[in-house]
Amino acid sequence: MWEFAARSLNASAVFTIAALGELIGQRAGILNVGIEGVMLFGATVGFIVAKTTGSYLLGCLAALAIGGLIAALHGFFSITLGGDQVVNGMGIWIMGFGLTAYIGYPYTGPLGLERIPGLLGLSPFFFIAVALVGLTWWMFAKTSLGLRIRSAGENPSVTEVSGINVTRTRYLSVVVSGMLMGLGGAIYSLSYNPVWSINFLLGWGFIALALVFFSMWNPFILLGGSILFGTLWQLSLNPQLVLQSVLSRYIWRTVPFIITIAVLVLMSTKWFSSRWGAAKPQALGLPREEE
Amino acid sequence: MRLGKYEVKLEKKARVTGVEATAISLLAILIGLALVGLIFLQAGVSPLTGYKAIFSYAFANAFGLPLTINRSVFILLCTCAFIVPMKAGLWNIGTAGQLYGGTLVAFGVALVFGAKDPQTPTLAPGIVIALMMLGAMLGGALIGAIPGFLKGRFNTNEIVVTMMLNSVGYWLIAFMIKEGGPFMGGGGEGQGFKLSESIFGPMILGGTFTIPIALALAALLYFVFAKTTLGYQIKAFGLSPSAAKYAGISPHNVPLLVFILGGVIAGLAGYHYFAAVPGVYKIPTNYGDFGDLSFYGIICGLISQGNPLAAIPFALLFGGLTNGGRFVQGQLQLGYGIDYALLGVLMITLVAFQFFYRNTLVWKKLERES
Repeated sequence: MWEFAARSLNASAVFTIAALGELIGQRAGILNVGIEGVMLFGATVGFIVAKTTGSYLLGCLAALAIGGLIAALHGFFSITLGGDQVVNGMGIWIMGFGLTAYIGYPYTGPLGLERIPGLLGLSPFFFIAVALVGLTWWMFAKTSLGLRIRSAGENPSVTEVSGINVTRTRYLSVVVSGMLMGLGGAIYSLSYNPVWSINFLLGWGFIALALVFFSMWNPFILLGGSILFGTLWQLSLNPQLVLQSVLSRYIWRTVPFIITIAVLVLMSTKWFSSRWGAAKPQALGLPREEE
Repeated sequence: MRLGKYEVKLEKKARVTGVEATAISLLAILIGLALVGLIFLQAGVSPLTGYKAIFSYAFANAFGLPLTINRSVFILLCTCAFIVPMKAGLWNIGTAGQLYGGTLVAFGVALVFGAKDPQTPTLAPGIVIALMMLGAMLGGALIGAIPGFLKGRFNTNEIVVTMMLNSVGYWLIAFMIKEGGPFMGGGGEGQGFKLSESIFGPMILGGTFTIPIALALAALLYFVFAKTTLGYQIKAFGLSPSAAKYAGISPHNVPLLVFILGGVIAGLAGYHYFAAVPGVYKIPTNYGDFGDLSFYGIICGLISQGNPLAAIPFALLFGGLTNGGRFVQGQLQLGYGIDYALLGVLMITLVAFQFFYRNTLVWKKLERES
């Protein structure tokens, strides 16, 4: 049973870190629906680097770098060129999906490194995820940097007038957000399930995106949601833990996706969105008109 | 910005003409292809050789051309399935899930009418084929109705819902065709049963009968959006859902309607590839590749600016590129997945070029300073 719980928490680390990245970007007003693409890049590049050099550390650093780079591209399209952020994000996702399929294919198969030592079956990434949740909360609640990011996402024009460089703040948030998404992907491919195959994330990035809306932009609720989804995912892989072979394992695989839809519906209801509306960054997804 | 004797400025533009849009799209594709040329170079193949091989196999080869056309029809149908919700400002990235749903119902119909056991008395083949097509449309519509209903009723984000349904559809097919599922084929290789010959999709003049259907559908959609009240209502909703409400257009029904229509068309795409393309006639083990191929519909829909007729040549081009790409990666010993790389690069160049739909570069010669 503990083993199951540990696996679930390890899975939740992937959701938490990637979704934290999305949360930071959204707080600055930049919506990145291409989170799955950024994660695929981080996961694939991290996997290749770790496999060729034999170093987990280098793999994670490479994932951070590529994640930041890809998100900077999204930032360039969305901040500098001022395009529709949903279109740009879709572009990032399909680019990630297509290019990583090509780049990663020669490395198909298991990573073949000794697993990262953990504590009681928990990977160190889980602890990193929890620490990052606390850190993000502290940054937004207590620091002037957090305030600057939030104000860039609420009302960029007023922010600019009060002497804060909105463009720079948004770029900073977007790059950090991409680094976390890339790292999230790498945790999947290096620690949670170290085997590469085409499009292996199977929508985890989109679940992470849904989690950010679900969290009402609060890192602690985000952590709770991630643990919930990590557990659900793990249950769908081991249905025998709940019911003895009632349904085919393929049917169980659909369960986390159906539950994501159900949760998403719940939080789009009037009852939920009346609370949610207050937390949503006002300028989310809107390009800033520069004069 | 100053460049030598010239001043370069960006100016916003209110709208693009058809000619400009075509020029921008073609330029985006050319630059995308040039970037993929770098991948060829990195693999030690001259891009010119690579593209020559791709295009000559895709468009000038007796084996390659029919494959190109089959893929293009598939992409065109997926494009139409993407375009209808796009006109209402909604993102249907669930064509994969919808075509899986349509495929499942179509093959379910075939199974009910004795596809696994040709001895059982059954309906006339023509009727079974018609029922399979209806089934495909129904199955696609059922999957499509979910994001449409949820968007209309609860304003649930359709991107996440359609994406989740893609995975649901993927595993449902796996359940049906693998490990003793009801649709499992005789070989036990994890693929679906083969249709009996009498209910293969009929051929017209050497092509599948779905070719004229897809073309007629594109023309019909063009007409609907150009000339009918329904098309106007969908477009009005796309421009401003709240304003459309005051014009008497139901904000609940439009999302449901466009997603059902999208699902119907995507279901047909599934029928086309798995039940009408020669040599397939079953749900193959690699059915997931066709879900991936359906994402070309997104690119095609964006690049043709939601115009279903303009999408036809682009669908043909992408069908050829993916088909030729698959072929040359074996012939020129490129890595696997050149068609996936192409998908990614084309998408991102297209997104970058969206900028020029909204802005234009103005060159002005500077007066010599005296």
